[in-house]
Parts: sequence; structure tokens; C-alpha cells
Amino acid sequence: MKQIVEMLDRDSRVSDYKLNITRKESLELFYVKGRLETVRRTDTTDREVTVYVEHDGFLGDAQFFLYAATTPEEVAQRIDEAVEKALLINNQAYTLPAEEQGKYEVESNFADCAMPEMAARLADAVFAANVTEHTALNAVEIFLNKYTEKVFNSRNLCKTQVRYSAMVEAIPTYNGETQSVELYEQYNISSFDAAAVTAEIAEKLQEVAARNAAVRPDVMPECPVVLRKLELAELMGEIAYQANYAGIYAHATLFGKGDCIQKEPQGDRITLRMMGELAGNIASAKFDSDGMTLRDTSIVEDGQLVAYYGANRYGQYLQEEPTGALHCMQVSPGTAEAAVFEEGTVLDILSMSGLQVDFYSDYIGGEIRLAYLRENGRVTPVTGISVSGKLSEVLNSVRFSKEIDTHDQYTGPAKALLTGMKIF
Amino acid sequence: MSFSAFLESRRADARKLVTALRKQYAYVSVLGSDIQAKSFRADRNSSGITSGRDTECGFVVKLSNGGVFFEYSLDDITGDIPALAASIAEAFDLQTLLSGNTIDPVTLPDEPLRQSFARENDLAAYTNDRLLSICKELSAELIAKDEHVLNAVAMIGTREVSQLFLSENRELDQNYTWVNGYLVAIYRDNDKVVQAREGANAHLLGDVLRELPQCTDKLLAKAQKLTTAKPIEPGVYDIITDPSITGLIAHEAFGHGVEMDQFVKDRALGKEYVGKYVASPICNMRDGAAATLSAASYFFDDDGVLAGDTQIIKDGILVAGISDLASAAQLGTRPTGNGRRESSRRKAYSRMTNTFFEPGKDKLEDMIASIDHGYMLFETNNGMEDPKNWAIQCVAEYGIEIVDGKLTENYVSPVVMSGYVPDLLQSITMISDDFQIEGAGSCGKGYKEWVRVSDGGPALKARVKLG
Repeated sequence: MKQIVEMLDRDSRVSDYKLNITRKESLELFYVKGRLETVRRTDTTDREVTVYVEHDGFLGDAQFFLYAATTPEEVAQRIDEAVEKALLINNQAYTLPAEEQGKYEVESNFADCAMPEMAARLADAVFAANVTEHTALNAVEIFLNKYTEKVFNSRNLCKTQVRYSAMVEAIPTYNGETQSVELYEQYNISSFDAAAVTAEIAEKLQEVAARNAAVRPDVMPECPVVLRKLELAELMGEIAYQANYAGIYAHATLFGKGDCIQKEPQGDRITLRMMGELAGNIASAKFDSDGMTLRDTSIVEDGQLVAYYGANRYGQYLQEEPTGALHCMQVSPGTAEAAVFEEGTVLDILSMSGLQVDFYSDYIGGEIRLAYLRENGRVTPVTGISVSGKLSEVLNSVRFSKEIDTHDQYTGPAKALLTGMKIF
Repeated sequence: MSFSAFLESRRADARKLVTALRKQYAYVSVLGSDIQAKSFRADRNSSGITSGRDTECGFVVKLSNGGVFFEYSLDDITGDIPALAASIAEAFDLQTLLSGNTIDPVTLPDEPLRQSFARENDLAAYTNDRLLSICKELSAELIAKDEHVLNAVAMIGTREVSQLFLSENRELDQNYTWVNGYLVAIYRDNDKVVQAREGANAHLLGDVLRELPQCTDKLLAKAQKLTTAKPIEPGVYDIITDPSITGLIAHEAFGHGVEMDQFVKDRALGKEYVGKYVASPICNMRDGAAATLSAASYFFDDDGVLAGDTQIIKDGILVAGISDLASAAQLGTRPTGNGRRESSRRKAYSRMTNTFFEPGKDKLEDMIASIDHGYMLFETNNGMEDPKNWAIQCVAEYGIEIVDGKLTENYVSPVVMSGYVPDLLQSITMISDDFQIEGAGSCGKGYKEWVRVSDGGPALKARVKLG
């Protein structure tokens, strides 16, 4: 890389440059019906070069990848091609972050032992959950990843961070006398807690037993609907997009600063903060792909969009202070005690094919794979039904739990109570 | 454009690596991939030429001694090959993990074949300057044509694939291209903002560049109509599907359900239905990289198995599934050429390629005329499979109401179609005599492992739950 930096420094056509080098080391285990089928290891490095060229009052940029095998002659050729491409791009000018150095490691106990040992401990924790009668884990995939990310630019910025993550994809299955049913579980973690892993998988195994007993209701209930963390992560992700610099610059969002996401709130008001790091959140990072230090930003307060967030370029275009590309979502807890989600008649959704949230069409809905129909203390597992509603009305009446939970990039209320949804 | 010079320079090293590792493993293969993807994009305020997300260059080594399969992904295979072979073997010296319960021994086939494959392409005939200019012109044209356009995005994506596969008995290489073009209008009217899109795709860039400019008027008309769209009243309706939604049904309803790695895991109900009716007797469905020329058409798969053309449903009866090398070996069947990886850094699974219903005998206008009240559904947004329980969710971008056998001006959006797969497939009563494949899709397995796919077919008449 030293050679390419020298070539870029010497090239008078190049106004600025950026190098992103990401090494990925992984150990992956694939189990079929509890038996190890495949072991994979990866040790790969991506080297991406971005060349910036100022021309005619514009700033053009172009990228290329370098491979281990790229020769100096090929590097020179790729720089030439990138400069030619950048000269075709007439984008508004902006400046790169500058004069920052640092080496960081996002906190994780995955670093405490070698990958094979940690992978074995993860596998043990997953399979320890399988103690329920008639249930099985028909397929389990475990990915243990270590990323070493380096950003280096022509403005004397040089940062490195190490991040760890693990993903468990488990297929809990219930094998009954007349049928066999399954659920899908993808569980992402940034640190290892054997008890938490076992508890998460055990909960899914209990849920799949319920799915075996689930029926389509004869009469469709008319009642509030409970969403859990996975679906809440989807919903909040859509809200967060409304405040993203890139979306706003492209006119692809519907809300502006000062607009109310909740027009006439009668339930809990949404407060959403985008953050760089959050304990247990898999999106945690010290800096983004530009090397920008991440600045936590509250984007929705009491249901009103109060600030935008996003990466350097579009932040400058909007004449906003760039926050860096923030990926962790923190939603403030609500006012609802646990009992609220079980009172009267409610449809408590455990698994969906995928929650559809669309601000453009004012729509929220989807197909339910498993839910508990709770009727004054009586619990009936149900399946084969769908829900849909007007997003704006649902947001007005939403109530959030006091209890907090984390799913991937989302940390916030574990449950939400939605009214006005049609069940069919 | 032709086969990757980089991969060609590593051919001899790949042979040496196979030979070196064969001393310790019964089966050894090396897959090298050099995929160059470019994206040209312009909108109202900005433009760009970037490396497309499919860009990659690397190798994956697959090993087996009859039990657990091992795979090692790395950037390069040159240099001291015996040392590299030793380091790969050492990486799998994992006694703690391998001392547990493992799969039964199977033998991976390695039938002799040496062949080079190439498909004509025209990428070299177009400069970066020209392609970016076309994007800028199309974006500007859309903005100029209609004052309601807030922004317009024009994008052309090119993808050139070179792959080299070597094992003890096989040596294959392939080179082919695919091109996708998109236009997206962000449109405000009737106090509502919508996004509408049109696309064109082909293996020749020239074909996409001819077709894409013809889409602008259609795109703007559709965007305007979408601003009038209302939510659909949830219920069960007669529907007609456009080829995109037909393809989505083929893909989600039965494509995932016959991926035979799911058979190995007892994750697909389809395993128990081979030879039985699963659809209306007028339904025929196929999948294969060699079944048609589209986004997922290759010459050999990521296991070095030649591309196939698999009849999945024949006259309503489930007849076969699709498989990768390892799944076929475990099931004792022949692999169908459906072993696909997201990249050389990921595992090969049984994956769909080009998946479609075959044409029927009905005229589309007769199908519409046969419906008293229902909807014609258009354009795939997304879908979700559930091969074990045969639940299905397909999301269409929009629908048009049919009343008294005629399409109205009433648009609904979005439209979520859900239900039970056999109910949906057995409700198909008419199939049009035309046929179209959409070559612009991506497919995940669960929520990961994204690969390029196409799907489509004729129009179907069915009865489903919409919401």
C-alpha cells in the first residue's frame, strides 16, 4: 500500500484520495440436524481506493479495488482510469475529514479466546437450548467474524478499528405426530453470553411448539396488535431513514425538520437517537467509512423530527454538520407495564414473514406466521392470518413497553401495542 | 471483454494447489472468481461511476475426506503452493469441533470434463463517458418532461463474470455478462409523494440502451397514477398477475421449497410431495441457468457442475428439486447445477437461477374479462418464503382494480398477497399464452446469501388473500 500512496501523492491530477482496507477473518460452522456438515474459514482483505478530482468547480470521484495480485503497472492504469472517470462526474464539492489518527477496538469478549474455541462455545450454547420434547434444531449456522478496518486519506487521516460479531441462524422445528413445523431465527451478537444465547434459542424452541398447535381463528378478532423487537427494528429503521442526509438530498423522504412523525399522538411519543456505539448493538463502531468520528444525534423527539444525520458528503451538501454514518438506533422506553400487553384481547405477534412499512403509501402490515391470541388470560396460538393498517393512525396510538430489548441495530422498547390494525 | 487475465495467470497455481491438497484430501476443488461490476448513475443533483456491489476477486478451496466438508476463502493462491496447502490444511486441524457429531460420509463426484465457455458481449463498445452521459440525459429528460418530478434517477449496471474451476478431473472456465438499467421517478402530485420505476435488462448493453429510453413516458404515467393509489380493502379476491408477480409466486411458493439442501435438513415440505399434485393441473414450472437466457444464466455453477434446466412442476405434479453438489451427494441424487455462492467468500447452497411458469393457452384479455371484481397485480417489491409450512407473502408495488371484466383507473398500493401455497397454486384457473422474464432480481436464503436471479412467466389467474 505504501507504493500506491506514493503514486497517488505524486499524481498532480489527483486532488484527494481515500483508502479503505478491510480484513475479514471468520470461522463458520454449519450443522444439519445437530451434526456438523461444513466448516468454513475465510481470511480475505478488501482494498478500495477512492480518487477525488477537482475540476471546473466540481468534485468528481471514482473507486477501484486493488487485489493482492495487482502489479504496479496495473495500479498506474487504474489510477489513470479513475481520474478519467472522476473528470466525468460533476458533483458539488465537499471536503474530506482531516487530521485525525487513532487505533480503536470496539469492546467485545469475542477477543478473549481463539476463534475455534469461541465457535465451539457458541455451538454448545445453542445446542444446550434443545431440551424441549419433540423439538429439534434442524439447521444451525454459526458465523464468528473479526473485522479489521482501516481508513487512510490524503488529509492526514488514519484510523483503524477492530470489530467482532457473531451470527447464529437457527431453525427450531417441532416434530408432531401429524405435522412438522418450523420458525426462522437469525440472532446477531457483538459479545458472548452463553446463558443469553441459550435462552434466546430456547425461547424460539418454545415458540415453535406453539406454532405446531396454532390454528387459523374461525372468527377474526378485532383487537390491538403487539409487535416485538424484530418488527420494531423494521419500523424504527424506516423512521430513521426519513432523517438521513442522503435520502433528504435525493428528495426521497417525506418529512423535514419540525415535521411530526406522529401527527396527533394519543399514546407514547417516539424519541429516537442515532448513535455510534451502544452496548450489545451489532452496529457499534468508532468511525465510519470516511473515517468520520461518530457523533450521537437525537433525530426524533416526542414524535417530532428535530434533526438529520448521516455521512460527510451529504451532510455538507445540506449545510449540516456531518454526524458520520450512524447505525445504532436507540428508542426511548414507553410507559406501558408488561401487563398492558396481555390485558383484554390482544394479538401478540411472535413471528411474521416480514413487516411491511411504507410511509409513501401510509401502510403497515404483513403475514403472521405465529401469534398468541390473548383473550382475558386465555392464550391461543394462531397462524395463517395477516394484519394491515394506516401507518399514520397506528403511530398516533402506539404504546411502548418500559422494558428494553436489543435486536441487531435496534435498542429500545421490547414491545409495542398498536391499535387500528385490521386482522384478516 | 474476455476471460480474466488474472485468473488465467493463476491457472497453473490452482492445478498445483489441487495436487498438493489431494495428498491429504479425497476431494479438492478450487474456484476462482473475478467479477467486475460497474454502476453508472445520475439524478437531478449528482452523478457517479462506482464499482458495483457484485465486484469481487478471490478463491475458495473445497475439501472433503468423505465426512465434514471444508472450505477456505482467500484472496490469492500464488507463491509457495506447498506452504499454502499446508496452511489451509492446518486451518482445519480443529479437534475440538470435529470430535463431536458429524454427518455421515459421502463421496463428492468428480467426473472428467475440460471446457471453456464464453458468451458474446458488447461492453467494450461503450465508454464510461457515453454511459454516464446517457444516464444524465435520461434523468434530465424525466425531470424536464413533468413538473411533478422531484427527482429522477437513471442507472446502468454492468456485470462481467469470469470464473475458473479446477479439481483433479475437471478444468472449466467461463466468461459472460449481464446488464441492468433502471429509471426511478420521485413524483409529487395529489398531495402525495411516490416512487415509480421501470427497467430493462439483457446480456447485451446495446439492447438495454435501446429499451431504457423508451420507458420514460410509461414511467411518468405510472408515477402519476400511483399518486392516486389507495390502500386495498383487505379480503380474498380473484387476481391476474403480471409476469413479474407470476415470477415472484414461482420463486417464493415453490422455488425455495425445492432447494434440496432444505430436503437434507428436513426443512421443506416439498420433499414429501414429489410425485404428487401441488398445483392446478395446468401449471408447469421450471428452473435452470440453462433454461432461458437471463440474469442467472451461467455455463457451470459454483461447484463446477454444468448449468441445468429442471422441470419442477409438470401438469400440477411436483417432479423434481434443484441441488448443489454437497446436497445431491447426501441425498444420493445428481446435482442439477444450482450450487451458488454470494461470492467466493461464502458457502455454496442449493439456489434458484431463472425460475418461471411456462406459458398456457389463454389470452390475457379473456382472463381479465372473466373477473367480475378483482385486481391485476404488477411489479415485485419483495417476498418471503416458508418452505416447511408453505406460508407465502408476496408484495406487489401496485394493483389495478378489475370491475365487470375490465381494468379500471383505480390503483391500489402497496398490495400484500399472503396465504397457503397449495391453496394459491391450486386456485390457478387460467394461464396466458405469452411469456416474459424479469432479469433484475436478487434473492436471499433466509435473510442472507444474496445472489442474482430472474423469474417470470405468463399472466396467471388465481384467487388469493390481499391486504
